[in-house]
Amino acid sequence: MNIKPVVSALLRNRVGAVLVALEIAIALAVLVNAAFIVGQRIAAIEEPTGLDYHNMFSITMAGVTSDFYAPRSARDDIAYIRSMHGVVSAAPTGTIPMSGDGSNGTLYTEPGQRGKAAAYSVVETDEQGMSTLGATLVGGRNFRTTEILQASRGQIDQPVPEIIVTQSLARALFPEHGALGQVVYDRQNRPMTIIGVVRDFIGQVGFGSPPYQVALVPRIPGAYGVYVCLVHTAPGRAESIMQLAEQHLAASNPTRVILDAYPLDHYKDLLDSENRNMAIFLVVVTSLILAITCLGIFGLTTFNVSTRTKQIGTMRAVGARKRDVVTHFLLENAIIVASGVLIGCTLALGVGYWLSTEYAQPRLDMSFLAAGVLILVAVGQLAAWQPARRAASVPPSVATRTV
Amino acid sequence: MLAYYFRLAVKSFRRTPGLTALMVCAIALGIGTCVVTLTVYHAMSGNPIWWKNNVLYAVTMDSWDPSPNDAYDPDHPELAPPQLTYRDAEYLYQSTIPRRKVIMTQLIGMLSGVPGKSVPIQAPTRATTRDFFSMFDVPFQFGGAWDSAADSGPQPVMVLSKRENEKLFGGANSVGQTILWNAHRFRIVGVLADWRPLPRFYDLTTHSPWSNPDDVYVPFQWGPTLKQLPGGNSSCWGSNAVNTYEDFIGSECVWIEMWVELATPQAREQMQAYMDSYWATQHKAGRFARPLNNHLTNVSGWLKVNGVVTGDSRILLRLAFAFLTVCLINTVGILLAKFLRAAPTSGLRRALGASRREIFVQHLAEVAAISLAGAALGLALGVAGLGAVRALYANSDGYSQLAHFDPLGIAWALGLAALSTLAAGLYPAWTVGRLPPSLYLKSR
Repeated sequence: MNIKPVVSALLRNRVGAVLVALEIAIALAVLVNAAFIVGQRIAAIEEPTGLDYHNMFSITMAGVTSDFYAPRSARDDIAYIRSMHGVVSAAPTGTIPMSGDGSNGTLYTEPGQRGKAAAYSVVETDEQGMSTLGATLVGGRNFRTTEILQASRGQIDQPVPEIIVTQSLARALFPEHGALGQVVYDRQNRPMTIIGVVRDFIGQVGFGSPPYQVALVPRIPGAYGVYVCLVHTAPGRAESIMQLAEQHLAASNPTRVILDAYPLDHYKDLLDSENRNMAIFLVVVTSLILAITCLGIFGLTTFNVSTRTKQIGTMRAVGARKRDVVTHFLLENAIIVASGVLIGCTLALGVGYWLSTEYAQPRLDMSFLAAGVLILVAVGQLAAWQPARRAASVPPSVATRTV
Repeated sequence: MLAYYFRLAVKSFRRTPGLTALMVCAIALGIGTCVVTLTVYHAMSGNPIWWKNNVLYAVTMDSWDPSPNDAYDPDHPELAPPQLTYRDAEYLYQSTIPRRKVIMTQLIGMLSGVPGKSVPIQAPTRATTRDFFSMFDVPFQFGGAWDSAADSGPQPVMVLSKRENEKLFGGANSVGQTILWNAHRFRIVGVLADWRPLPRFYDLTTHSPWSNPDDVYVPFQWGPTLKQLPGGNSSCWGSNAVNTYEDFIGSECVWIEMWVELATPQAREQMQAYMDSYWATQHKAGRFARPLNNHLTNVSGWLKVNGVVTGDSRILLRLAFAFLTVCLINTVGILLAKFLRAAPTSGLRRALGASRREIFVQHLAEVAAISLAGAALGLALGVAGLGAVRALYANSDGYSQLAHFDPLGIAWALGLAALSTLAAGLYPAWTVGRLPPSLYLKSR
């Protein structure tokens, strides 16, 4: 098939062709970058939490009067919750996993804030904290009941001699050799021995400490008058047990109030919401852009076919087969799509570069660009298929009839 | 004449209903998307107290850890902490340079002794000074702010939000009533009217910027008087152990938000000089080991450094415009095709005496009709889209507030739509008007 008649036909409706090429270019740039961002967001949502969060809930308690002693109240509340039917395990903590509620700090491998440093989220808890969080030991041991400390009245902070760390925190502090048995120091130079290492789970988020760098601290929380009852229930019972516990606890001790009570699903949902909503929005808008672009291609080819009926008839009359007519229109469309895709590649790279500098996104992965090009070429040819077929059905007699 | 043009337009739509529907739908989708993103973006980037933007300043001093690896915010090491230490806040609060000033923190509040409520109720409390209400133009429904004697006392007086007053007293005027706040008897002196600054600019440290403002307000000194630790954010550094409340308020922990109202640029300079000279004396005494980094930041600057408008929403805004562009290019293409196909009719009209201008205006009328239909449908789509966004964010602390029908944002989107569609119609209408009539008359 000769390309010359195709090009000269194309030049007859330049503006229309340029417009469709532009649409294709924008569609490609959006598609490629949107797909890339959506991929990252989905990956972020699917990051393991290390927690059986579907079957967990937390109730946050606060007491503020001078006669309120948080550690005792925490022990009472936890004792009640542990006695409830359907509760697998419960522990007081100072941090709600996957939420911003809690505290964090920095550990050093040498005193005087020297050596390797690692930010971590502090999970004050007792000997049942590990089982409640579902954290499994990979080395060392759990706290013993006798090792659980509690601050005295009016005391804000209390040093602990031992901690249990997650694998991520262990690696951050001691990348070369094992962390078990090592001594680490806090900002106040107080030494702590790592007595256990557990599998990673997410601690406090949003306040600077990396999500999986968590340490369990053997202390009953409550220094600020606030503590969390963290509860692990039998499958599917988190919500119902939470409601019962809430009812009881609201009335059992008038010196404190319930600040929050949520299944951990709630916090996981909040954690994901930005990523999830961005992904949804990108998918919706990108699909719409693709759809509109297809309609644009379809419209242009239809228009070309309908204004060139006579010429098609002539082509057929002088010997072109139906297949040749289809090829003619598809080739014409292919030229438009190809030029659009070329501009689109530049545009996509430009947008990708801009996103990476302006919004700290990683650089665009080239495989996404390749896939985007393939998809647009395929979709572009498909959109032109039906009008091209219709062109082929123009009978050769049209050429003679309308003269 | 215009009526005639519209009749012609309707005739033209009847001839090609599919193409017309396609154009209307494309415009509607573009506009709908823009309505949703512009509304959210507009709400998100709003300044809830724009009329005092260059009068109100957040006060920050860089008292943070000098070691280079321990910036307060590792992503923005150039910023001072958003809060102050107790001693710095106390010192700066003594200044008489600002017309108004406020130091504040968040406390956990427990309300009891309310008639008809047996179980204590938790209420997020702002411990603040009296200028809070006048500085931030907080409206009162009943009563008013406490006086300055209550600040220094501190006296047991409180202000309730409208929401809290409805919860506790069914919305009745509760001024003069007393209830227990953290087991101490407080007298209610004021009840706020509706007040929902979006974002919650005055304290962006803990909650979502879109969450409700606090429900109870008490004089700032109640925190230290009752030795009650802050319920919001507090950040500490340094190697001194913090074991007691006294340790805490003497420490380098930052936990107090401070704002000042400076009516003139001179006052602003004076305040800056006041802070800098305080910094210098403290620096000599061994504190403030970081380089001088004191700031008075106005409201819009404060919202910016605190990253209230997320990167995502900015990306989405641009995406919406890219989408609208595609829809418009599509419309230009279809209009061009449609007008060219009907060119012989235009040629006939030209031959019968219509001027180029008239042909142009006639086609523009057709474009206007399409853009109007597209805008109407787009608005409906946008409202539905906002509903969907609200549903998506139902769980997120106050964020769904942003997706409310906002007349200004929607006026923006519609104006944009009408303008851009008309602009899209200019070229095709002009092309058709320019065609020589003889060509088409001949080919008939």
